[in-house]
Amino acid sequence: MASRPSPVVEEILKTVKQRVKWSGYDKQAVEKAVSKFVAAIDVVRLHYLENCVGCAACAPACPYYYVDEHYSPVNKAEYSRGVYRKKLTFAGRILGPLVGAWIPKNEKDLDRVVELVYRCTNCGHCYYACPFGIDSGSLVQGLLKIIATYSGRAPTIIDVFAELEYREAYLEIEGLMMPWNMVLKKAEEAIGKSLPLDKKGAEVLLLPWLTDAMFYPGGVIGAIKAFEAAGLDYTLPSRPWAVRPPIGVVVGRMELAKATLERIVRRAEELGVKRVVLLDGGFPYPWMRWEMPKLLGRRPNFQVVHFVEIALELVKQGRLPIEPDDTPVTWHDPCQLGRRGGVTEEPYELLRRVARNFRPLKHRGVHSICCGGGGGIGCMNPEMIAEMAKLMGLEPDALYDGEKEKKFIEETTKAWSIAVKRKIDEIRESGAKIVVTACPVCIHSISGGAKLYNLPVDVKHIAEYIGERVKLKR
Amino acid sequence: MGLSEALYNFAVYQFFWIALALFAFGVVYRIGRMFALWKRPVKAPRRARGGGYLVKTFIETFLDPIIFSLKKKPHDFTFGLLLLHLFGVLPIIFLMGEHVIVWSYYFPPYWLVAKWGLWIPESMISGTLTVTTPVPPVGEMSYKFVSNIWGPLNIILNGDVLAILALIGVGGKIGMKLLEAAKREKNVRLGDIIDYTLLLGILLAGYLAARFRGDVIIYRELLALHVLFAELLLAWLPFSKYWHFVFGYWYGKIHEWWDTRYQRGA
Repeated sequence: MASRPSPVVEEILKTVKQRVKWSGYDKQAVEKAVSKFVAAIDVVRLHYLENCVGCAACAPACPYYYVDEHYSPVNKAEYSRGVYRKKLTFAGRILGPLVGAWIPKNEKDLDRVVELVYRCTNCGHCYYACPFGIDSGSLVQGLLKIIATYSGRAPTIIDVFAELEYREAYLEIEGLMMPWNMVLKKAEEAIGKSLPLDKKGAEVLLLPWLTDAMFYPGGVIGAIKAFEAAGLDYTLPSRPWAVRPPIGVVVGRMELAKATLERIVRRAEELGVKRVVLLDGGFPYPWMRWEMPKLLGRRPNFQVVHFVEIALELVKQGRLPIEPDDTPVTWHDPCQLGRRGGVTEEPYELLRRVARNFRPLKHRGVHSICCGGGGGIGCMNPEMIAEMAKLMGLEPDALYDGEKEKKFIEETTKAWSIAVKRKIDEIRESGAKIVVTACPVCIHSISGGAKLYNLPVDVKHIAEYIGERVKLKR
Repeated sequence: MGLSEALYNFAVYQFFWIALALFAFGVVYRIGRMFALWKRPVKAPRRARGGGYLVKTFIETFLDPIIFSLKKKPHDFTFGLLLLHLFGVLPIIFLMGEHVIVWSYYFPPYWLVAKWGLWIPESMISGTLTVTTPVPPVGEMSYKFVSNIWGPLNIILNGDVLAILALIGVGGKIGMKLLEAAKREKNVRLGDIIDYTLLLGILLAGYLAARFRGDVIIYRELLALHVLFAELLLAWLPFSKYWHFVFGYWYGKIHEWWDTRYQRGA
């Protein structure tokens, strides 16, 4: 039984319930959404919209193509092209559906849009598979999602977390803060001294998010142990600066995303650190490293790197004493760290140095198979929603906009259970007993998939793996 | 002047300029729109990767989709890339003797293709262009002889074989599009039907003209149709999927490399 929700949770839920509508068709909202869609088209997206020849070469790259062929990237992106044609081409305005011009006209259309949006993980594999360099993920996640969200079709759970992060309201929710407080306490026990919290002028800022503490506390502790062992001049925040920023992008709410990133950059600059180290190799990495300067219109005064990059540097410099491991271990490339983030070489170099029985997967780097959990799909399952509701003192039903959304979440979970299978099969083929990776969604998705398809494997964050093997001087 | 001659003259001497003007308008329109939407972004510093890595990944950017298609969609690879592009339309357009002469007429340096012996004959059993091709006589002959470097490869590299491969390619692509349409796939567009029909028209008219050995009037009509269809495609090109050949493909792949490999270091 959930405890009573705090007033801040009730307030956020009220805000979200006002804008999330899984039933009906609000013409004004759709028009507003279409205007936002049009405003989000830039020169690169114009290429993505206009230069597809419809060859569908991208189809087999998508994990959801194996759930249903209609979920191929080109099919999903075609809905964005339809809106584009209707609003911005002569042929589309005059000839309409004859040339594939389209705009959601009723409830059924909106239901279809949201279905397609949450059958895309934005993994970017279609981008590399396309003979014309078209990033269909950008058209689905970056454009079509705007139509879904601003027409009311946004998953309540993600929208609640976007709002929680924007307002930093999670700091007031005991259930959510518990893992954070716990991880700091355990880290202090592990290193046998106080943590260097909020230290100004440190070289490196280890910047864990709230989700890092929730999903892999061992990863946070592992990173701290590694930095201590290497004698790094580092600091970390005494409280989480965000849930998993910018979580607003997962529901296409760019205004929330921008405000959150601005806040994070300001704080890191106030600390005067030279480098910010992330543990999360999911979407926060490309957003913090690559997209943030574009969004904010300026470069921050620090460099953003992932833990795996700095760990490799330290190992190469001989500053990180590690006890090599004999367990068969493999690496799963999180799509956002690898394909989207460009960290495709470093994890392999690091693991070759620290794991004697490293077994790279058949598809790796930019060709890696997606785990099927990205784009918000990972947290769209009833168990996760029930768990999060409990932490916030809510009944699970409070995080659904009625039966329709509930059914959609259940269908999404079913679709994920098919999409994840290829990844599990590939891990099974490698013979690995440990899968190391760097993204909470990948960890959750692969662990869930392994359980579903009876694969006895331990899935952990790379920082946890390194932390377990690091020789710490006391 | 008979209909045949009028059609021929219109196709060869008049419509070409109209088509070229439409093509030029289309190019300006499409590139202009890209410039209109262009804004210099504030970029993060790029990831340091060595020159060798960048060259390797540049090649991979172009090769990877081909390898992926071969592994995952062999039918599409065969009909689309092999038959239609690599062994069909591309060598016919740019290497077949008759076309080399046309390109050289408008762009004289293109004659290097003939000089270097890269051009290919119309048929595997003869080096001639065709007895009725209206090219200036060379020496005693009323036709031009295609002398090239391809040797035994002429068995494949000739107009007849390549045109048949291209026809099979287009036919296969039309068939696949119809199958996709039956499955209600969204990536089947009206433009596909127009584009493939136009291409099929060009190939058929050209093939029939090349194989025709009868009345010169009918030959001229076939040739006029072939030229007219090709000019229609030229005018239509910037507004259709064929734009990929002029711009979309090159921009797309180079941008992808710049974005993912050069900038982010993937």
